Amino acid sequence: MAERMQTCNLSEHNFEQCTKCSICTTVCPVAAVTTDYPGPKQAGPDGERYRLKDPAYFDKALKLCLNCKRCEVACPSGVHIADIIQHARMRAAEGQRATLRDTMLANTDLLGKMANLVAPVANATLGLSPTKLVMDSVMAIDKHRTFPAYSRQKFTTWFKRHAAKEQDAYAHHVSYFHGCYVNYNFPKLGQDLVKLLNAVGYGVHLLDKEQCCGVALIANGLYKQARRQARVNIDNIRKSVTRDKRVVLTTSSSCTFNMRDEYPSMLDIDNADVHDSISLATRFIYRLVDEEKIKLVFKQDYKRRMAYHTACHMQRMGWQLYSIMLLRMIPGLDLVELEQECCGISGTYGFKKENYERSQAIGSVLFKLIEDAKVEAVTTDCETCKWQIEMSTGLPVENPISVLADALDVEATRRANGIN
Amino acid sequence: MKMDTVIIGGGLSGLACGISLAKRGKRVTIVASGQSTMLFNGGSMEMLGYVDGKAVENPLGAIASLPESHPYRKIGADRIASIAERVKLLFSDSGIEMTGSANANHWRITPMGVAKPAWLTLSDHLRIDNLNQLPAKRLALMCIRGYFDQPNAMLAKGLRDLGFEVDMIEFTTDDITALRRSPSEMRATSLAKHLVSNNALQRVADQFNNLAGDADMVLMPSVFGQSDSSDFQLLQSKVNKPLRLVATLPPSVAGMRMMTQLRHYFKMLGGTYLTGDTAVSGTFDGDRLTSVTTAKLADMPLKADDFVLATGSFVSRGLKADFERVYEPVLGVDVDADADPEKWTRFGVLEPQAYFGYGVATDSQLRCLKQGKPIQNLRAIGSVLSGHDAVKMGDGTGVSLLTAIAAADHIREKK
Repeated sequence: MAERMQTCNLSEHNFEQCTKCSICTTVCPVAAVTTDYPGPKQAGPDGERYRLKDPAYFDKALKLCLNCKRCEVACPSGVHIADIIQHARMRAAEGQRATLRDTMLANTDLLGKMANLVAPVANATLGLSPTKLVMDSVMAIDKHRTFPAYSRQKFTTWFKRHAAKEQDAYAHHVSYFHGCYVNYNFPKLGQDLVKLLNAVGYGVHLLDKEQCCGVALIANGLYKQARRQARVNIDNIRKSVTRDKRVVLTTSSSCTFNMRDEYPSMLDIDNADVHDSISLATRFIYRLVDEEKIKLVFKQDYKRRMAYHTACHMQRMGWQLYSIMLLRMIPGLDLVELEQECCGISGTYGFKKENYERSQAIGSVLFKLIEDAKVEAVTTDCETCKWQIEMSTGLPVENPISVLADALDVEATRRANGIN
Repeated sequence: MKMDTVIIGGGLSGLACGISLAKRGKRVTIVASGQSTMLFNGGSMEMLGYVDGKAVENPLGAIASLPESHPYRKIGADRIASIAERVKLLFSDSGIEMTGSANANHWRITPMGVAKPAWLTLSDHLRIDNLNQLPAKRLALMCIRGYFDQPNAMLAKGLRDLGFEVDMIEFTTDDITALRRSPSEMRATSLAKHLVSNNALQRVADQFNNLAGDADMVLMPSVFGQSDSSDFQLLQSKVNKPLRLVATLPPSVAGMRMMTQLRHYFKMLGGTYLTGDTAVSGTFDGDRLTSVTTAKLADMPLKADDFVLATGSFVSRGLKADFERVYEPVLGVDVDADADPEKWTRFGVLEPQAYFGYGVATDSQLRCLKQGKPIQNLRAIGSVLSGHDAVKMGDGTGVSLLTAIAAADHIREKK
């Protein structure tokens, strides 16, 4: 009996394991720049004790949480502090409608679909100062922000026209969850992945159907819609894994983290059977190289100095090692590994007028590190970190997959892997 | 993934060992689960503070009097002397300025105002070499308004008992007052984050210069400099009296700073530091450990020639106990502990507790034992080791540092 109490009495989110040591507060990027936010210990386990007595104790300041999860990474006792905060927000948001602005920001795929149709117009219009002023004052989207440019051609359109036919010819196969960013804003990243995987003998396929992973929907309180889209995604991922025997690769750390870890913990979506088959492409490729199943050959004349930024969700997954080790294989790449600091954007958070200054203050530590690193470009696995770092430092930011594809000697790699 | 050495545990000991190996060109990966107990450190390292309840004057000289089961005896007093010098070098190479000697303890001041023997202390913290020759006669003890992690009255009493004249002076600035909005989070580390700009420090300095009166030294809580000592130096340049810091209740800025600097140096040497990941199991082949599996790299065991267990004691979950046994949870190596749970503890929290001395069993080369036999390529270092009691003996950080470098030497010297 006594033994069972010790081993089985586990609380949700490891809530009861908190020893109130305050170590989480020392790494919180929000508490570091504002006294409006009481820090993860107070917002998380401490506040939860009150909220369990009466939900009215919910503190609006919890909306300032970025959900970066750095508190969870630092916690010596394994408490899921950010999950406690997110769940409290979720309970408080029940029955409340999200604002038009939040709904618009959260629906990254809807926005993308509309903008794609009129990409040149949308890009020009969204970039104009009158438009920005209207968005700033009416929509409360900060005028300093520039929406990432929309592509004229969606990734899926390009793929169907130019790549789909050849994919069956390869000996091995994977599925690719491209996400909104690759589809609407930056198809090149998807093209780079196809180029890289084809060169080592892997055919790339789209899922039967995919929807936005919903990371922004969760952040903006649109839980019902997030759950709906999550179900569609997991159903289609399941088809790929069980029917087609294809693992599902991604090129965005936040989509990956969301589908693997937040679906079950935040949305109660059971993904246990496919969880391990959802992987970031760098992890998948690194493991193939490590197990000597494939070889990568890089260009002789490639020479660059870049800094690697570990996105917060990448650190939460503990996967930065895969991207870093893979990048270190490029002989001509001088890679500076930056100390992990939050860039401050946290998806849609930094786009909101009320968060803009805080967002930049949070990121300032990282921007300084990048400036000191004296590099020509930055590489990171997260697209929103990319926007923030590009806007704030002026340096170009690329996904590791694009860096690899750029440095790859495609012909030599194909030969080394026995592909015609 | 194959490395030369994988170290399980990213605290003081793991980092010291990692730096030592990486400096000699070894490819090292450290698996660190969460932040370490260094965030409870007051800015000093101790080699040996007490033997039989009496304060030790010369820690190196006192090692011979320790029982043979103590980790220092396994390293040997001669070797400890030379390793101790290398510890100082390791700190200065990492950009951490510490002073002290292994032949003569000095005194550090705890947040409660108690003087305790120490080996090395951060150069911006108050240290007393000789209790009969205090470094100042009259201290201005600057007390931050609304800051609860410095028990000022106790601290002042302790300092007066040592022979100082102490003026307790309350002060605040606009920057500090703003922080009082969330009083529960007004901690040393949040103060350190907000007291960084030249202007904010100038406002603190102005208060000190106005209020310190005729004291000949200004003492203030250690709430400066999260990443290096430059904030302190900037403040000192603005204050017209010598300035010293005194440890606060945790989380400790000094501990955080030391960890940041050590981690930074380790990475600079090419080391890999896996933050927020936990080693969960190992695979053995006879008397060798071949790989370690972590929670987040679950499908990619970390292979290495050598492994180091630096997981800390019970508080860091390097040791665990249930109702029947004390055990080492990652690799299941042997533990020195009483079999009878009745003997683990004694009534009275402040009484000496047997479990403080429990830990992983090792041979003379710090190799872990499994079912009584040494694992050839697995060494244990730091607080996870048996045979010492950091609370009673004041040897915690010393064991961490000295065994870390001794183990690194063993790894390098083996054929």
